Amino acid sequence: MAELDPSKKVADRYLKREVLGEGTYGVVYKAIDTQTGQTVAIKKIRLGKQKEGVNFTALREIKLLKELKDPNIIELIDAFPHKGNLHLVFEFMETDLEAVIRDRNIFLSPADIKSFLQMTLKGLAYCHKKWVLHRDMKPNNLLIGSNGQLKLADFGLARIFGSPDRRFTHQVFARWYRAPELLFGTKQYGSAVDVWAAACIFAELLLRRPFLQGSSDIDQLGKIFAAFGTPTPSQWPDILYLPDYVEFQYVPAPPLRSFFPMASDDTLDLLSKMFAYDPTSRITIQQALEHRYFSSAPLPTDPSKLPRPTSRQEPTNSRGLDLNSNEVPTVPSPRKSRRVMPDREAFEGNAYKADRLDDHVSEREAAAGNTSKNEAVPMSLDFSVFGGKPPNRPTINSADRSHLKRKLDLEFQQ
Amino acid sequence: MADFQTSTQRAKWILNPHELVGRYKAANQRAIEALEKFGATLMVVDADGSLSYPDPLINSKENADKHSRPKPLSIEEEQFMRVFYENKLQEVCNNFHFPHKIQATALIYFKRFYLQWSVMQHNPKNVMLTCIYAACKIEENHVSAEELGKGISQDHQIILNYEMIVYQSLEFDLIVYAPYRSVEGYVHDMEEVFHENAERLQMLKEAASLEVDKIMLTDAPLLFPPGQLALAALRRSNEVHGVIDFERYLDSILSRQNSAHIISELYERFNSIDSWINKYAFPSEKDLKHINRKLKSCWGLGSNDESKKREKKSKHKSKKSSNEMQNMPSHT
Repeated sequence: MAELDPSKKVADRYLKREVLGEGTYGVVYKAIDTQTGQTVAIKKIRLGKQKEGVNFTALREIKLLKELKDPNIIELIDAFPHKGNLHLVFEFMETDLEAVIRDRNIFLSPADIKSFLQMTLKGLAYCHKKWVLHRDMKPNNLLIGSNGQLKLADFGLARIFGSPDRRFTHQVFARWYRAPELLFGTKQYGSAVDVWAAACIFAELLLRRPFLQGSSDIDQLGKIFAAFGTPTPSQWPDILYLPDYVEFQYVPAPPLRSFFPMASDDTLDLLSKMFAYDPTSRITIQQALEHRYFSSAPLPTDPSKLPRPTSRQEPTNSRGLDLNSNEVPTVPSPRKSRRVMPDREAFEGNAYKADRLDDHVSEREAAAGNTSKNEAVPMSLDFSVFGGKPPNRPTINSADRSHLKRKLDLEFQQ
Repeated sequence: MADFQTSTQRAKWILNPHELVGRYKAANQRAIEALEKFGATLMVVDADGSLSYPDPLINSKENADKHSRPKPLSIEEEQFMRVFYENKLQEVCNNFHFPHKIQATALIYFKRFYLQWSVMQHNPKNVMLTCIYAACKIEENHVSAEELGKGISQDHQIILNYEMIVYQSLEFDLIVYAPYRSVEGYVHDMEEVFHENAERLQMLKEAASLEVDKIMLTDAPLLFPPGQLALAALRRSNEVHGVIDFERYLDSILSRQNSAHIISELYERFNSIDSWINKYAFPSEKDLKHINRKLKSCWGLGSNDESKKREKKSKHKSKKSSNEMQNMPSHT
């Protein structure tokens, strides 16, 4: 309760306001920075008696955000320990792209979508220029300030890349945003994984719901192949050498337009280039920003004129960072059964991301309400070719996975 | 992260020689003040990163008696202590076969930590181990505290206790640039400029890397950007091995980069880096013993009796508020 006492100052500088929610590793609350008068969001991370000291995720976020300063990247204002907690002070953000996408009262014009995408890509381009992979791109991590500026947040999975031969974990991104090379277990990847996720976000802006909603890693690949056709070695030569490569039955690609009937040609052209299978031929963020989609009419909406969720009832409206807790899903969801699906073990050792993914699913269902399940959208199609859950599909060895997961990029390499 | 130009290292942690001396003086002075006030200088670090001085009351008697009060270390003596532990740090890293990058990061952390504190306030052994642990963590080559502690028969809990105060003293600027990568980059570039045979360049690179090892033990990494340190190392090793025309190479870099530097200015810097290597001095065993004895008495560990009393007492120590701690070492 003391937490809520408005007269309470933290570290003689921050005046505590309301709790915004429970993050993945602590509480987030709103505060006023008495030095600048600025409203901030403070992430409070318990230090406790962890065997491995200060939380890795927090350290990743701190070390990278200290070096990344850009209008489209969340600003880390301060970091300090206080009463057994590590406090991270961020600029306060009003809402996030997920809340915008799923607010049914909001109409997103093509110019609005262009503006959101452009800001997303600008933030990513900056990261890639500094050799940082975000690795957790999703609408929920794209925060929106009161001036409409969109900023990349949650760098807890982000990494520096560019060292030759450096191997990374493929267990990154929420599943729906995970590139096919990651789903096939690649350990050596680059900025193309962020491009794929950005493409998923682009599609989600157009469709107003997640584009490729796989229920397991294998199902995710199924959804991807159903949308773009099963990749052939001529399209993606390295596919055969990926660690967890499994052969899928061949399905041809339906026309991209069939999923996005209203989209302009430029939109579809850029989208298809961002969704290229072969990571080496996937468009780079910089090239994407130079694509004619951004220079052709309609021009991107000025950020300050972008629509914003208005209803204050939506808890995510006033979120700071990384919150998804306030929303207890109320709609009983058949998808919950997925929690016990065998593929879930792919997430072993990564409970944190797994939980978030679940929240994500249930949040969406709660929000979409009755419109959700039966909306006959192309991507919900049950691909009869895959016959739902294939009984004997070779799955990625789970023992290998959890082993890898435990090591989560931490393996000792030269 | 490959952008030194916009880095916190460039913005905050490359000092001029005058600032550097000032920082060492200020840290030394703070320890002296603590000694006068509390009779001992060693701070107690808790697991949550909170810091405190031992209760001054125990030493009130000694305070009254000026003669029995321990003598503080001089700035030079502090320097020797740091040099000693920086060597230890390299030794530990070598024993664990850690890559250069980790060793360099740990060394830079250690150096930066002691810009804020005196060795009289924080035992350099603990700080050194924690810097290694933190460097492994930040460079994504995690080694558990337990493993690290076991490998050198040290209590790993100390490392975990110190972790937060180390990050805080580094002002959470955790990405650091060492010259090793720059050496590689320059050698790679030389291949293109000179078409020199790869074997000879490889030899030059290895020799330069050894020169960087030496540089990393001096204060030069706090005074020069990594690129200049790398070039100074390459120049030194090239003087021995005569692989390339160094001046021509510098010309070629400067002309390509449209750099504001002029060659003579760069040479001045290289000379200055050279002089840091040349004047590097490792304390004699006799000096070390003497300094160590002094240090222990500053820490309040002079006599066994004393230290036991203090240990007991420190459990009920008067904590300084962390706000105060926060403002103390930084903002300089």
